[in-house]
Amino acid sequence: MKTRDEVLVGLIVTAAIIVTVLGSLWLARGGLSKGYPLYAKFPWGAGLKQGQPVLLVGVNVGYVDQVDLHQDGTLVTMLRIQKNYKVPITSKAAVVPNGIFGDQAVALTPSRPDPRAFKPDDTIPTGPSTPGIAQLTSKADSIATSVNAVTSALQHEMVAAGGIRDLRNAINSTNRLVSEFAAVAEEQSRQLSATLTSLRRATGAIDPAKVDSTVKNLRTASANMSEMSAQLKETSGKLDVIIAKVDSGNGSAAKLLNDPGAYNDVRKLLQRMDSLVADIKKNPKRYINVRLF
Amino acid sequence: MIGDPLSPFRKVGDWSYFLRDIGRAFRDPKTYVPETIRQMRNIGVDSLPLAAIVAGFIGAVTAFQTRYQLFGGVQLSVVGLISRQSIILELGPLLTGLVLTGRVGARITAEIGTMRVTEQIDALETLAYDPVAYLVVPRLIAALLMLPVLTILADAIGVGTAMFTAVTATDVTTADFTAGLRLSFTPFQIVYSIIKATIFGGAIAFFCSYEGYTANVGAEGVGRSTAQAVVVTSVAILVFDALIALLLAPYLQA
Repeated sequence: MKTRDEVLVGLIVTAAIIVTVLGSLWLARGGLSKGYPLYAKFPWGAGLKQGQPVLLVGVNVGYVDQVDLHQDGTLVTMLRIQKNYKVPITSKAAVVPNGIFGDQAVALTPSRPDPRAFKPDDTIPTGPSTPGIAQLTSKADSIATSVNAVTSALQHEMVAAGGIRDLRNAINSTNRLVSEFAAVAEEQSRQLSATLTSLRRATGAIDPAKVDSTVKNLRTASANMSEMSAQLKETSGKLDVIIAKVDSGNGSAAKLLNDPGAYNDVRKLLQRMDSLVADIKKNPKRYINVRLF
Repeated sequence: MIGDPLSPFRKVGDWSYFLRDIGRAFRDPKTYVPETIRQMRNIGVDSLPLAAIVAGFIGAVTAFQTRYQLFGGVQLSVVGLISRQSIILELGPLLTGLVLTGRVGARITAEIGTMRVTEQIDALETLAYDPVAYLVVPRLIAALLMLPVLTILADAIGVGTAMFTAVTATDVTTADFTAGLRLSFTPFQIVYSIIKATIFGGAIAFFCSYEGYTANVGAEGVGRSTAQAVVVTSVAILVFDALIALLLAPYLQA
């Protein structure tokens, strides 16, 4: 009987010890397999604690094993990664929110697939962390404060300072202006209609036959003008030839125009004629002797 | 009893004398060691089915209620986290202690009280046996050792049934529940549960043995002592529970 008691007690105590050890291992590490450690340095206040999941592109591949506070402003975090997962060397670690209660997870995100992987005890570079609920709440707070200020200013300007009244007056003035514009536009429209009617009437009064004959006359006149222009051109050509001849000094006219001797002769002749005329005037009887009987 | 303002101090003084006697009795291992295994069987092995049933149902109810108190948008891993923390830190040790107060504590008081009223204790003294070493110390050692064992098993069963219930009866997946179970877990949480269970075991054995050892003459005296032992031990367990939480809970955070 006593031996049986000892066996039973031994069994239950052993069972409790096994449950304690295996249960703790399972809860703390996810099993007997310890995995390999990787490190990441996050700034203070990242909200990390032991047991938080480590996600490789969204897949749970391990957990946060240890968080050490360093005085240089960093939290050196040991990530325990399951042995069957390799973290590509292009990965960056970031703290991301996990759920809506401010819990965090460490997200490992490779920039591209890479067969090379981090080795145990390597340090993963950190990327920008996604804002958590706390940061979003503080941002929302600051936005709410700004909105409040804007609302107060609006309240002050629009209500207290009479902005709404001014706005209403402006709207009324605009309405009046629009009515006046409408009246003017209606008057203009009416006048335009009348003008168009008159124009239509005038257009109807024009005789197409007369227009045709006028056009024909114009055409004829144009042809005559063209002919006259040709004749003028021909005449001008002939004149050019004459002038050229005069310029060259050949012919009577040219010589008359170009010979200074002839000019002098003419001058002398004119002088003699002048003196003759003067003498005639002086002594008409020498030249004119009129006898009637 | 009522109206005597010194009675609480008298009681505390009696407990102190009894504790002193227990301390003296530890110097006589030949008397208590052979009996200890038998008491471990009585207190530990025989109580396992009851502790397991209680823990199983408590685990299931905890998971189920936790799931349906979450509002939309809360990640379901919270069910695992709350179930683990509730069962390991509080419900496992506390309910095991209270259940064993009824099952084991009452039995200890009745056994020792009957021996007192039938003058078997006096006979032991006549035979130069230390009655405390023979009757109280084995029960105390057995309770101190077996309560943690039962509590660890109750914790495991409670968490297991919580996981089973959450996964089968609600929309919580195994991955969700497991993620919550592992979140912020530290081995100290198990140690905390063991510390509670050890102190509860000591309280059960000590107060129930004391009430039996000081039982009044007659069957009625034994009955009264048994009832009082259950009440005092239950209250003592609750007080110790609060004190341990007050002292050790700050160290629980991961």
